[in-house]
Amino acid sequence: MTRAAEYLWIQIRDHVSRFFSKEATTLLESSRIIFASYDQAMHTRQPAVVIPIDIPAPVEPNTPYRVPFNGTHLTPWNPLPAPSQGEWQALPDASAPLWYRHQAGTITPAWNLFANLFDLLTFREERESQARDCHGRFVARFSPRYREGLLEVPAFNEGAAALVAACAGLRRNGSPAFDLEDLVGPPVAVLSHDCDILAGNDIWTQLIRAHRIVQPLKRARLPRPGNLWWMISNAILPKRFYFDNVTGMINLEREFGYTSSFYLLNGSGGRYGARSGSKLLPDLIEAVPEQWDIGMHYNYDTHLHHERFQTQLDELNAIVPGGIKCGRAHYFRFDSKKSLPFLESFGIECDESAGYSDRIGYRCGIGGCFQPYDAASGKALNIYEIPAVIMDTTLVDQYGEKSLARFRYLMNHLGCIGGALSLIFHPGNFHNPELRRMLGIYHKLLIECRQLEVQSQTPLALAISA
Amino acid sequence: MNVRLIAEGEAEACNDFYNRIYGKKRSLRQWKWDFYSTIYNNPRIPFAVVEDGGKIVGTQAFIPIRMIDEDGVFWTAKSEETLVDHNYRGKKLFEQMYQLLFDYANKNGLAYIWGFTPATRAFKRLGFVIPAVTSQIFYPFSRRSIPPLLERTGKDPGLVKSGLFGIGCNLARMVSSLRFALNNPMRAGFSGLELRTLESAPEDAGHLCERFIRQWGGVTIYRDTAYLRWRIFQNPYLRAVMRAAYDGDQLVGYIAYSLGDDGMGYLVDLMIAVSEDKSYDANDVARLLLSEAVIGTRNMGAHAIRGWRVNDHPFDAVITRVAGSLGFYHIRKGHAVVLYCARDAAKRKASDQFGRWFVSRIYTEGVFG
Repeated sequence: MTRAAEYLWIQIRDHVSRFFSKEATTLLESSRIIFASYDQAMHTRQPAVVIPIDIPAPVEPNTPYRVPFNGTHLTPWNPLPAPSQGEWQALPDASAPLWYRHQAGTITPAWNLFANLFDLLTFREERESQARDCHGRFVARFSPRYREGLLEVPAFNEGAAALVAACAGLRRNGSPAFDLEDLVGPPVAVLSHDCDILAGNDIWTQLIRAHRIVQPLKRARLPRPGNLWWMISNAILPKRFYFDNVTGMINLEREFGYTSSFYLLNGSGGRYGARSGSKLLPDLIEAVPEQWDIGMHYNYDTHLHHERFQTQLDELNAIVPGGIKCGRAHYFRFDSKKSLPFLESFGIECDESAGYSDRIGYRCGIGGCFQPYDAASGKALNIYEIPAVIMDTTLVDQYGEKSLARFRYLMNHLGCIGGALSLIFHPGNFHNPELRRMLGIYHKLLIECRQLEVQSQTPLALAISA
Repeated sequence: MNVRLIAEGEAEACNDFYNRIYGKKRSLRQWKWDFYSTIYNNPRIPFAVVEDGGKIVGTQAFIPIRMIDEDGVFWTAKSEETLVDHNYRGKKLFEQMYQLLFDYANKNGLAYIWGFTPATRAFKRLGFVIPAVTSQIFYPFSRRSIPPLLERTGKDPGLVKSGLFGIGCNLARMVSSLRFALNNPMRAGFSGLELRTLESAPEDAGHLCERFIRQWGGVTIYRDTAYLRWRIFQNPYLRAVMRAAYDGDQLVGYIAYSLGDDGMGYLVDLMIAVSEDKSYDANDVARLLLSEAVIGTRNMGAHAIRGWRVNDHPFDAVITRVAGSLGFYHIRKGHAVVLYCARDAAKRKASDQFGRWFVSRIYTEGVFG
């Protein structure tokens, strides 16, 4: 097995142990799964799953199609050429196959499972693209999957689920199954909160409100003096709708039996920095119960900057009991090649920065947790990545009144194939009458989670659960 | 048709029947939490069903609940899951199921059967009395509290009336905020107690309940550790936030509150017992805990917070008085209480005096606790 194949196999196995039953993990480990060349796959004649690893995949997804699976649909792309010999059968059918099965019991995927999944986990899209926005980010609109409408497809989860079902079917009757029965666990929500602003009276927030008052004048429209109210009320009660929301969110999560993580922003101030400074952080740390995680929201100017990052980390380590082990980059400033080794060198064990700021979606094609690939050593880095999937305002901007329905669909889909959805909700967006469109959204999302019997895990707990 | 107690393996059918009639999605886990009490150790639960050709067409259940009075702890039951398929109405199935359960109550020493319902006539026919109607204490946070309030009345107020309600609510909100600002315990400088959020049922909950009865008298649900664990901490719907006041290691009181799916805050329960030698009294503790609930539910994004006010139990009177000073309003709108005295009720003192019961929203034995 090549190092790449070995790496991918470990990620699949760990993913299955996180989101499937013990029986599924045992089934996967005891099944004969071979990573081999396409030619070898075509000539294997034994009951086994043979995954071709030598067919290069284009960066642009080719011919996505849908296959019914366990109460939902899988969306594979980059189909592999159908075996030419007549002894192979396309399953579930030739028009949209997921597997080819030889009469000797050999099963091989009908799509480029290995290349698709490996490319996604190794950020190939962004490694091969120079496109970046003004913050240096690879945003969703630069992804070839965006153009194909595939950003909300958790391709890794789907591949892993298909593999588990194939193994189960192989064990049962020698043919891949398309359901998971009791093998899949409940979907998991990884809830987190970037504490960008903890008091609404900082100069930048107030200036932005002042700007909003006069902004319509540029378009010859009436000014919006209503913003004055928020300027005054937060000048008098700075914590209102910001810091106060932290305790509200904790209580709300507690009510549903959920936990989350709070990522604290400290260090330098400014428009993109820690606007509220650090003075409220000790109070916030005290307000966060033991079962919740506290992590670092890497400041804007610490992006790949050793000294600044160390300074921010040191300040937090001095006040957070147990120190900082997880975090997410402010503004999602994330370099697919350098960020993860950089974070690993600071002892960060779990990161949630690989998300998009402009769309919701699976940046690495995974709803869950993985260890990034170190191309130099051909092994996994000693850090876990939980790509952020949904950010509060992004969901509402993108889907408006259909936000809840979309969230329900994504969670339900994960419930059918196994996985976790990382959701970011800023305290300032939780219950803030200044942002009317966001009122009650987090509560409704948690109600959806309860109805779908979603479980919650903090990033660190999820990472070590494999 | 067969009227009998639920048989083993029928839980799912009963839950499906409920979901079909009400169009809800209650899970089997929620059903089990509702009806399989972790405290009541009787293998046969008081859950009556009507079965016709293998199909469940009617249900009526009792949830056994322990209560406490000056003479000690005893069993009662909350009436629940009253449901008959509309195709089977008029066949006296409700009465037959109840007869079965009354027999069960007499055999198993359930002293009272109680519940809350807008439909009282059928209960009266069975011998229930209507000793009170629940009313509410209400603190508005925003005008969005109006629709959930009106929804309960089933009336569409129309645009003009809705606008007037909005203006009225904003005025009420301002008055409440002012009263709260003037009377909350932080302003009064009261700080003799430590407040803690409870992550599990307190070990001395039963002791608090016993002291409560000694201080205030009357009858109330026996909220010991096992009860709070079952109803609050193992609640599969909503686990109410519990804030407790401690004097050193002694539990002096607690408040439980929730944010409902309708965006309203709910005051689920409040218990206080203060000995006379303290520098503070029950009013102080009530003010402290009610303030916690107001701030807590407001920060959770509630439109308003409301609790029950049921009768003239001395502690209910304290809550009403303190709540009023903090900006709560008293709204006389609620459901009728139905009460049936079974054979063992005669053994209790003042068995017919519902005015001596202390009742909070935890008596709903439902989503909130």
